[in-house]
Amino acid sequence: MGNLELIVEKHSERIHHGIEVLPSLRHGLPEGLGNKRWTAELILATYEMALTGDLPKNGLEYRTGNSGGGFDVLGWKNNGFARIDQESVDLSIPLNKREDGKKITIPLPIYGGGMSFGSISLNFMLARARAAKRLDTFMSTGEGGYPDEIVPYRDHVITQVATGMFGVREETIQYAPIVEFKYAQGAKPGLGGHLLADKVTSEVAKMRESSMFTSLYSPFPFHSVYSVEDHKKHVDWIKTVNPRALVSVKVSTPTDVDMVAIGSYYAGANIIHIDGGYGGTGAAPEIAKKNIAMPIEYAIPKVHDYLVSEGVRDDVVLIASGGIRTADDIAKAIALGADGCVVATAEAVAVGCTHCGNCERGRGCQVGITTTDPELSRFIDPEWGETRIVNLFTAWSKRLRSILAGFGLESVRDLRGRRDLLVRYK
Amino acid sequence: MGKQEAEGGCGVVGLACNVPLEGKYLLQSLVQMRNRGNGKGGGIAAVGLVPEQLGVSEKILKEDYILQVAYLNKSVRKQVEDEHVRPFFVVDYEARVNAVDDYRSIPGLEVEPPEVYRYSVRVKRDVLADFARKNGLEGLEENEVEDEFLYQNSYRLNQQYYSSLGEKKAFVVSHGKNMIVLKLVGFGDDVVRYYRLEDFKAHVWIGHHRYPTKGRVWHPGGAHPFVGLHEALVHNGDFANYHSIMEYLAQRNIHPLFLTDTEVSVLLFDLLSRVYKYPLEYLIEALAPTTERDFEMLSVEKKRIYRLIQSTHIHGSPDGPWFFIVARNDVEKNAWQLLGITDTSMLRPQVFALQEGPVKIGIIASERQAINAVLGKLQEDQKIPSRFADTYWNARGGSFTDGGAFLFTVKDGESGKVLECADKFGKSIELPAQDWLPQVGSSVSLNASIAIQLQRGPGARDPWGFYEYVRPALRDAGFQYVGEILEELKRLAMKGQESRQFAIKSLSLLYDRIYDTGRKKRSSLLQLYHEALNDVFSSISLSNYDLYTRLDWKNRSRLIHPGFDEQVLVVDALEFPAEGQESTARFVVDAYREGWKNILLYNLRGHRFIGSGLGARTNDLKIDCYGDVGDYVASGIDGCEITVHGAAQDQAAQILKYGKLVVHGDVGQAFMYAAKGGDVFVLGNAAGRPLINAVGRPRVVINGTCLDYLAESFMAGDPYNGGGFVVVNGLRPSFDGRFVEHEYPYPGSNLFSLASGGAIFIRDPYRKVSSEQLNGGRLADFTMKDWELIRPFLEENEKLFGISVKKDLLTVQERSLDPRQIYRKIEPITLQELA
Repeated sequence: MGNLELIVEKHSERIHHGIEVLPSLRHGLPEGLGNKRWTAELILATYEMALTGDLPKNGLEYRTGNSGGGFDVLGWKNNGFARIDQESVDLSIPLNKREDGKKITIPLPIYGGGMSFGSISLNFMLARARAAKRLDTFMSTGEGGYPDEIVPYRDHVITQVATGMFGVREETIQYAPIVEFKYAQGAKPGLGGHLLADKVTSEVAKMRESSMFTSLYSPFPFHSVYSVEDHKKHVDWIKTVNPRALVSVKVSTPTDVDMVAIGSYYAGANIIHIDGGYGGTGAAPEIAKKNIAMPIEYAIPKVHDYLVSEGVRDDVVLIASGGIRTADDIAKAIALGADGCVVATAEAVAVGCTHCGNCERGRGCQVGITTTDPELSRFIDPEWGETRIVNLFTAWSKRLRSILAGFGLESVRDLRGRRDLLVRYK
Repeated sequence: MGKQEAEGGCGVVGLACNVPLEGKYLLQSLVQMRNRGNGKGGGIAAVGLVPEQLGVSEKILKEDYILQVAYLNKSVRKQVEDEHVRPFFVVDYEARVNAVDDYRSIPGLEVEPPEVYRYSVRVKRDVLADFARKNGLEGLEENEVEDEFLYQNSYRLNQQYYSSLGEKKAFVVSHGKNMIVLKLVGFGDDVVRYYRLEDFKAHVWIGHHRYPTKGRVWHPGGAHPFVGLHEALVHNGDFANYHSIMEYLAQRNIHPLFLTDTEVSVLLFDLLSRVYKYPLEYLIEALAPTTERDFEMLSVEKKRIYRLIQSTHIHGSPDGPWFFIVARNDVEKNAWQLLGITDTSMLRPQVFALQEGPVKIGIIASERQAINAVLGKLQEDQKIPSRFADTYWNARGGSFTDGGAFLFTVKDGESGKVLECADKFGKSIELPAQDWLPQVGSSVSLNASIAIQLQRGPGARDPWGFYEYVRPALRDAGFQYVGEILEELKRLAMKGQESRQFAIKSLSLLYDRIYDTGRKKRSSLLQLYHEALNDVFSSISLSNYDLYTRLDWKNRSRLIHPGFDEQVLVVDALEFPAEGQESTARFVVDAYREGWKNILLYNLRGHRFIGSGLGARTNDLKIDCYGDVGDYVASGIDGCEITVHGAAQDQAAQILKYGKLVVHGDVGQAFMYAAKGGDVFVLGNAAGRPLINAVGRPRVVINGTCLDYLAESFMAGDPYNGGGFVVVNGLRPSFDGRFVEHEYPYPGSNLFSLASGGAIFIRDPYRKVSSEQLNGGRLADFTMKDWELIRPFLEENEKLFGISVKKDLLTVQERSLDPRQIYRKIEPITLQELA
């Protein structure tokens, strides 16, 4: 065994062992772990669910954080007792509600959000792709290109076309069952993507065909899209390249997000994906996170109600993201009016993210998630990561079923827009 | 008050002509731009009308206001007339505006268009005197007071019958002199059909498709054009600072009623022109301020005035993507105008064109193909000699060069009306005094038949030899002789497969190349070549054994695999949709999958995405495009070779990966956005924002110039080591067929901004490019190593376009110079922001 192998093995073992032991609280709650949104308990609970595929049994809070706002001050109406059998609850949602185009249904109302090769390691990307395949759902490439290694999972990989169009080629559009236009990210609307020089290793630069160790900024807008008819043309272009692809339009949540949503719908989008301000890795600038986009819990009802009033709600899928941490968050987002949710950070927590916030640095991530360093990125074994993510989503599914069964709802589709089931804590 | 209507996109077209033209000439261009609207709003404006058509005398047409009221609810007409028309106006003429009997006979019209009544009116003298007295307007000229009365009366009518009601009952569509506006819920071309405007004549027309995205109930009141008083405006874009402009207007006691940014735009225009009486130049400056280096390049005097205008009006200046087309009656000067203004960053598509012949016509549109659609229809009806303009160009927004605006003016000349075209600064667009078809200029006399001459010359094998052989005659001979050459080529095309190939290649050379045409207008020659090429293509039949075989929309299902590799599939694109699964682009994909390696498209008219969808590694495929290729041509190609015979439009070669693209003309906005590679040759100019975010190894030669933002965030590695670069030659073809220098090889700011890789090589013998134009890059010495790098591309450029490395590129004022004295290099520097 070479020296590097030893080092990798040693560190991986310690990390893996650590995140297995910590949730037992044998050593108490770790100090300095997490923050008010992702509390230490929530992080440990996520570790536990990713290990066992079940909800934590030792009382760890796995449903909500402690931010004093957002989903953390929304709770469920007291519903008494379970009315139907949890096992019979249907969690599946369709991703295409239009009459034309391929019908795709995912068995749980969740898929993986865009995190690019470069922002995260190839191994983590592979773990996500494998998990998406096993769960029969999707993950998104982000805008750093489409590594050959994930081609075998292409039926479960969404190709993102973002404003820099790094690594976007005809075949990457043709691989994809779903193509996602990223117009903006809720964590940093109006700023475009950015990958700092530190992380632009030779591998990353090669994938994006850019210069090594030079920061990469995607423009804020698409330079070919400055209006809705340009957007329509953009969609037509993708459909010329890949006529079978469904189209998702990812936007952040400005005050006129409802207008953006309806415009996207009329231009042919199958999925409208609204991304609120709570998400983003530590690489997103602090000044932007939570400070620009509308909170997702405000944006969802605004868009949902508007689509209803326009009479098109049942022709389009509304997906919410931006700080979805738990099964309860997902259920709350759906009760507010979404069809389903996109998560990304939670998957990172499943494989050991501690929310230390050093994501922008090349060797900042001590657990090997948001790094492209050839050594650090080997801490995550794709198969191990796959199991952890699948376990997390399995545990979440149990929680979702229990919430739905508690309200006597047979399908997660019946929860959509049921704001009457929510209460707001003071 | 919030903006009630959300919209961004639109398709716009405007034309001005020294003779009145029928509305049908607007139709085809609007039909071909339907993909820029969604059928929820269309409108037209016409200025400079024909008195007989309106049933009034010339005097009344000139002096009266044409008040047009749209009645959404027909029963309110008497009430509206009694309240807002009869008491105040002398009505010289009134009638219901002609319309088809049943709107449902026009496919796609779902909402009944309003019934429009037209009143030719003057304000009663006593009413006017009373109005002036009550409002303290006695100091104004009488016509100014009358204008204001009209304006206020219409405002009150709209307020009462449109904006204050749940149910919208009536509104004033237009009230200016010698102009009308009509609009409905539908497409722009539906307006022409519904109101029977096919044969209605006007000197100036504008047309508009709207793309509103909000609301299930649409009203024609929300459609463009909107009017001020004597002007109508259509708009493509969306303001970011709508609220700021609303406050600016509110401070001036102007309160919009229709709540779209288009209405706001025309109110701004009216305020600046009618109230503040700004000359057009200052008006444009107030709307689209000159900024950055362009401001610095202005004269001291202009800087002083512009600074004052900007400090007064900057918060009323629309911010964001917008393009206005304004049709206007300059009552005082008895002139009718068509004006196009772009925002400072040129974020919306815009093309201008001018043609002179028996009539002179200027056109503005969102796409070049829409311009050619207007010209094509006029040519078909033999009103003009050619379906090609003499010149096409883009405006450079907020610039010191043209000010981002061009004005076509129809006014009285010595014998009838004349059309003039000038930019913001009043600099006119001049066309050379050449002959057009069918007028014959100086002509060489022929002793022998052309066929014999051609055989004695190059023979029927070598198109390049043929081209060189006929070149002197193309300069000296008349149209008749050229016509005879073309007849001979057409005859050859019917003789056999090889001579057909010779004919097509020869005709293509005549069509593509720049050469001295002597007394003859190039646009007229292009018409002849275009016809000859179309005749040759159309004569090709469906056969699996011939070198050329042809399919069209009707026979598309007969596509089978080629008989042999060299076989050329000729596709008549005319009736294929511009986009979608049945589009020309998808048919090309189908043909390639069937095994076709040579595909020739003709009769293109704005067909989009040609070359897209072919997938990876298509090195064995060649595509030739004739006609008006649409947006996104060659986007994403990976290996194949596409030749565009003519100009390309916007978003050409987006994410182009590998392969070759040759454009015998200009390219539009956002050219090669995020391209990864490709060898690309452009004969003409690129519009705004070419090569943004390009990576990898694109090697590009642009023989013209670019508007602005060339190669922003360029990341194409090390050009000496497989990376990419852009050569800008800064040349333009002169009307006598030479390549001459543009005034500035690159006039904009923002050259190679924040680039981290690659290089720009710019032909700049007079050292006009300065470091102030850079934002992150630096001017570096151009070395012989650089020359060796770009020379092969310039040699290929010479083969493709006939731009000689020696005689055109390395010669300055008839002196042959070293490349190092001619070219300059811009390279990236390591920026703190990027490290």
